Amino acid sequence: MAQRAVWLISHESGTPLGGIVKFSRRYPTVEKRAKVFNGASYVPVPEDGPFLKALLFELRLLDDEKDFLESRDSCSHINKTSIYGVPVGGEELWPVVAFLKNGMIYACVPLVEQTLSPRPPLISISGISQGFELLFGVQDFLSSGQKTDSELNTKLSQLSDLLLQTCPFGTLLDANLQNSLDSINSASVTHLQKQPAWKTGTYKGKPQVSISITEKVNSMQYDKQEIADTWQVVGVVTCKCDLEGSMPNVTISLSLPTNGSPLQDILVHPCVTSLDSAILTSSSIDAMDDSAFSGPYKFPLTPPLESFNLCYYTSQVPVPPILGFYQVKEEEVQLKITVNLKLHESVKNSFEFCEAHIPFYNRGPITHVEYKASFGQLEVFREKSLLVWIIGQKFPKSMEISLSGTITFGAKNHEKQPFDQICIGGTAYLKLHFRILDYTLTGCYVDQHSVQVFASGKPKISTYRKLISSDYYIWNSKAPAPVTYGSLLLLDLSFLQSPLPQLKKKQLHFKGIPIPEA
Amino acid sequence: MGPLGRETWAQRLGTFRASPSAFMAGPEGEDLGRDLLSDLRSEKLSEPMKVALLALSLEYPDQLWPDAPAAEAAATSLLDTLVLLPPRPSALRRPLLLAATTALAAGGALNPASGASGRLLPLLLGLASGRDLGRSFCPASEQRPLQATAWECLRELESCRPGLLGGCLGLLRALLGREGPAQPLSLLLALALRNALVIQARAGAGLQGLLTAGESSMEGGPWNWMLAEEGEVHLQPQAPSWPAAEEDECGLAALELSPEEARELRATVAQLLDASYLLTPVAQAQLLWLLGWALRGLRGQPPVLFKPQLVRLLGTAQLTLLHAMLALKAAFGEALFTAQDEALLLRRLTLAAQHPALPLPTHLFYLHCLLNFPENWPLGPTGEEAAPLLLGSQLCRGLLPSLLHEPMALLARLHLLCLLCVEDEEKEGKGQDRSPRHYLEELLAGLRQRAALDGGPRALATLCFQASYLVAHCLAGQPVVLIPLTQGLAQLYRARPALAPHFVDLLDHVGPELQEPLRVALRQEVASRPGREEALRWHLQMLASVADGDAQSATLSFLRAAAAHCTDWGLQQALLRVCRALLRAGVGGGLADLLQELARQLEDPDGQDHARLYYILLAHLAGPKLGVALGPSLAAPALASSLVAENQGFAAALMVQEAPAPIRLSVGPRRAEGAVPVLRLQVEVLEPVYSLELRFRVEGQLYAPLGAVHVPCLCPGRPTRPLLLPLQPRRPAPARLAVRALYSTPSGLTCHAHLPPLLVAFADLFLPFPQPPEGAQLDFFEELWDSCLPKGTESRLWCPLGPEGLEALVSRHLEPFVVVAQPRCTFFPARSRLTGPRRWGASSPQPSVWVVTD
Repeated sequence: MAQRAVWLISHESGTPLGGIVKFSRRYPTVEKRAKVFNGASYVPVPEDGPFLKALLFELRLLDDEKDFLESRDSCSHINKTSIYGVPVGGEELWPVVAFLKNGMIYACVPLVEQTLSPRPPLISISGISQGFELLFGVQDFLSSGQKTDSELNTKLSQLSDLLLQTCPFGTLLDANLQNSLDSINSASVTHLQKQPAWKTGTYKGKPQVSISITEKVNSMQYDKQEIADTWQVVGVVTCKCDLEGSMPNVTISLSLPTNGSPLQDILVHPCVTSLDSAILTSSSIDAMDDSAFSGPYKFPLTPPLESFNLCYYTSQVPVPPILGFYQVKEEEVQLKITVNLKLHESVKNSFEFCEAHIPFYNRGPITHVEYKASFGQLEVFREKSLLVWIIGQKFPKSMEISLSGTITFGAKNHEKQPFDQICIGGTAYLKLHFRILDYTLTGCYVDQHSVQVFASGKPKISTYRKLISSDYYIWNSKAPAPVTYGSLLLLDLSFLQSPLPQLKKKQLHFKGIPIPEA
Repeated sequence: MGPLGRETWAQRLGTFRASPSAFMAGPEGEDLGRDLLSDLRSEKLSEPMKVALLALSLEYPDQLWPDAPAAEAAATSLLDTLVLLPPRPSALRRPLLLAATTALAAGGALNPASGASGRLLPLLLGLASGRDLGRSFCPASEQRPLQATAWECLRELESCRPGLLGGCLGLLRALLGREGPAQPLSLLLALALRNALVIQARAGAGLQGLLTAGESSMEGGPWNWMLAEEGEVHLQPQAPSWPAAEEDECGLAALELSPEEARELRATVAQLLDASYLLTPVAQAQLLWLLGWALRGLRGQPPVLFKPQLVRLLGTAQLTLLHAMLALKAAFGEALFTAQDEALLLRRLTLAAQHPALPLPTHLFYLHCLLNFPENWPLGPTGEEAAPLLLGSQLCRGLLPSLLHEPMALLARLHLLCLLCVEDEEKEGKGQDRSPRHYLEELLAGLRQRAALDGGPRALATLCFQASYLVAHCLAGQPVVLIPLTQGLAQLYRARPALAPHFVDLLDHVGPELQEPLRVALRQEVASRPGREEALRWHLQMLASVADGDAQSATLSFLRAAAAHCTDWGLQQALLRVCRALLRAGVGGGLADLLQELARQLEDPDGQDHARLYYILLAHLAGPKLGVALGPSLAAPALASSLVAENQGFAAALMVQEAPAPIRLSVGPRRAEGAVPVLRLQVEVLEPVYSLELRFRVEGQLYAPLGAVHVPCLCPGRPTRPLLLPLQPRRPAPARLAVRALYSTPSGLTCHAHLPPLLVAFADLFLPFPQPPEGAQLDFFEELWDSCLPKGTESRLWCPLGPEGLEALVSRHLEPFVVVAQPRCTFFPARSRLTGPRRWGASSPQPSVWVVTD
């Protein structure tokens, strides 16, 4: 379960090497074990230079893509996980856990405690998940609060010391690096009996608990007979418990209003001490029925010091918050677009912001736009071939707005205009970006009185809620659009059981057919 | 040399890190390790710089101290530095402990004879167990961090030398019950316990009270290396707690525990698990893996101890924890997970594999786990990826691929979809429109559409071909999938011939189920084109791969049309490569005409030469030989240059090759064959051999020249008649026959080989003698003897013999001709008859021999 080496590589496309090794750490005692365990199949960890080159090639991050290269482009060279065999010096270093996130490549080589030929299945190698956790930990540490390059460099310079704390010999002790940083800074913390390893000290001060629920809603809307629209809510509950005592007990309950949408697919933080089986089994995999568990969702826990994600969940709300309709017609050099958006009446009509981004891929720059918007303003980004319809804070009383326009494009210039692999031919989308504060789509909330804290002093409890859009697409209904298996299947079911009356309603609505009142 | 300055060190460290091997090969390499150790005590260097030096030694001890004595010396020096630190807070103590541990463990110096080991181990154990080491060692504020570090150092040493802490199990257990950090202690105890169990099981011993030995066991006295010495012999791959591993590999079943030991063991494991919630998630996972390893296969240790932990763990999103659960599942199967538990675990895994809150690498790993899920009752063959039985299409719905996925996610999910299609096919007669197969077809069509995009990134094309390969691989037996796939790919080629290299690659890798129809479809696609497009280069490349004996006329007419447009060298070579492929495929008539035309028509002399060469080869070589001559070079298979490969290919095919002989010759039993002595040769071959010619030669003028032996065909395993080699001895002397073989291989190469020499014995040079009737030998011999005499001459000779004596000499060389053993009478049936010795004195060193010749 140990790691033989760890790397951080910044991916810098366009530079001669394609990247720079920002940090690397080797673990010679683990390497020694690897030599014994792997026997004849042992491949030593290479130096940074050769490793950088080989890894970038394997990850397809070198810019040289012009010619077909069998070692990279062969159809049988299939990777289905973020675990690679990296060719170095005529041999293949395996397994290398690696992924790219925000321009940084995180990589490590877990120890495999057996021979590598034949390769054992990844699932049987304990070091794989440990390696991932280490890399995720480093990634969290680097990305937390970091905005500028100098902040990043400061964090990178702390990394060596941090790994000396959390991974001194290649075996990870705590994936939460920030924790270790705090413990270095407060070295005099006295460990009491039963002090958990994930809590580096104790809190002194006014007791307070803050809980915030953030829901993201994604959607794919097609407005087509044969494809069903899909949408899903993904929620995360973040907590910060400032409580005295070494292991205070807290119970947090999430509640739903009577017509709220049940929470599903709940994943909890490891500090949660027990889970109701109803929480464990409520999942989106099953067909929904009325008997679905609808809370309250109780989470007894012993909180760590730092802010943590208490749980993640998904939910299937009956309607998407905004129904959309988008049509693009190509007329010689011009495109004619029509957009209708309708806010559902149940949704809080008070946005922090609401915008519709309408990109045009694989075309030239926008040279001319004529448009008519029933509401809001349109901004034109000519070089980026992008229209942004700024809707603002509120939908009008009718809850319905529309935009139509004609756009003319100049000559295509591959370098400047964005390429997109999906938007080929007539395939096009608009993407909604919005945020509503103090609101959740599922209705999920934390009742302050339901939070139980078993610790000295009565804590101040504050709760927050917000809804954010994420991957909220409305596809051009006049052209093919990428679908998921779910949206095909859903429609099959709808013919049988008609569980989604809203869907049909919407289709009727946008086809200009009056909807009979229920 | 005095201590180096800060700047110098910073620069040195920078250069070293840039390329350790280059630095060590340079002038400063040799001194680096020594300088580092001495400068750690220098007062000129700041603490941070010393920490940086130690950090280097933590990563590169092998370079700094390359052998065990150097590592031992380094560890000693590091320990000295540690002891000499003034008793004020210092950032050096932790890294010094880590560095000394690393130097010993990585340098292979950790053993009972090592003085540094003898110092470090008690020091670490003292620090870890919180024993008072005297105020002078470290200030109170550093005690806790040093304690944690000491535990980690001990764990690492135990990892590198299993059994090292076997003697401390009792102490560790006692400490776990007290206050202090639970995590490092739990992990060390679990590791030491596991190692002790494995070592004792191999030795066939029990735990021998290791768990109950009190704290005093390690106090005072020298370190107990007993268990570690046992472990060292067996430091070998750990038994993975995975069902694919050999059952007895971990060998714990052999461990005999007394009821009391079993109880103590159970109590220890329970104690560890009860305190596990105090550990960080990653450490909890490590603990579960270790305990799973420790208890797997151990008799009388039911895994129910793990059960209370499972529900808590099942709810988390933590990758390591879910992975550790799967390890337990694999280790204990039904003993820990009932069928319902298995179903629940599978559902949680399925859910986690698509949960929007988790990152992509996690999804992909969970998908891998799903396809390798350790089922209680697996059906298919082990080691192959398959969808678990309980994972129905309903559960998989959210795991199917869509064009919006990242390439890796798409391929992983596509694999699952293919597996579903296999199952779907098995459940016949559903007739649904929205079957997984239809979805698969739509998805592939979408991928092809993207790949067809002119100027699109190569990654898109690669993805499309990877997906096609995966589908062809998984659904090879389903024509209903392969037919539209073939058509779709042919269309893709029509839309974007520049993808020809991808097509060639695909054809090289897929099985015949797709390869054959796709080859035909692509050939038709190319041949139907006018031969004058921009894409001619790609068409020719494609055709070189797909052209064969079928549809010759279409192919040839395409080439004829194309030839007019092949104006540059590259295109001409591409055209000739197609011709070459046709030659190999055995296309005759029309091709000869085309080659002649090309030899006249092509502008480039090189092209003309090649066309002419191919024509000559076609006209002069028989089919199989031509195939070999033009096939991939045997002489230089790794050489990428087509020019060199081509030359060597010809050379290899048209010349006689020296080869190690696949033939074994031996001399068989003698039998009378005509008037001259004949060697009966037994021949065996290791591979088929054609047109074999064996040539024999003997040094000197002993025999008349030997004729060659010819065999048309020999196959391994097929019985062969003995080969007959008549000998005409001029002088009767034993000899070695040099043998050479000339033969053709099945691939058409002509080979020449030297065989090991054949030994011709003295006896082989005479005709075998018919056996006289039983009991009448002596009379028979006497008559024979006398019959020779009237005409012949009798002589008598005395000859000196070696230490073997006459008996041995006769039996070695004359045995087949002995008529009567006592007195020894021998008859040589040769052209001149020769008999003798007739009588001799057995004890005499110089026997007298009577010889009569006719």
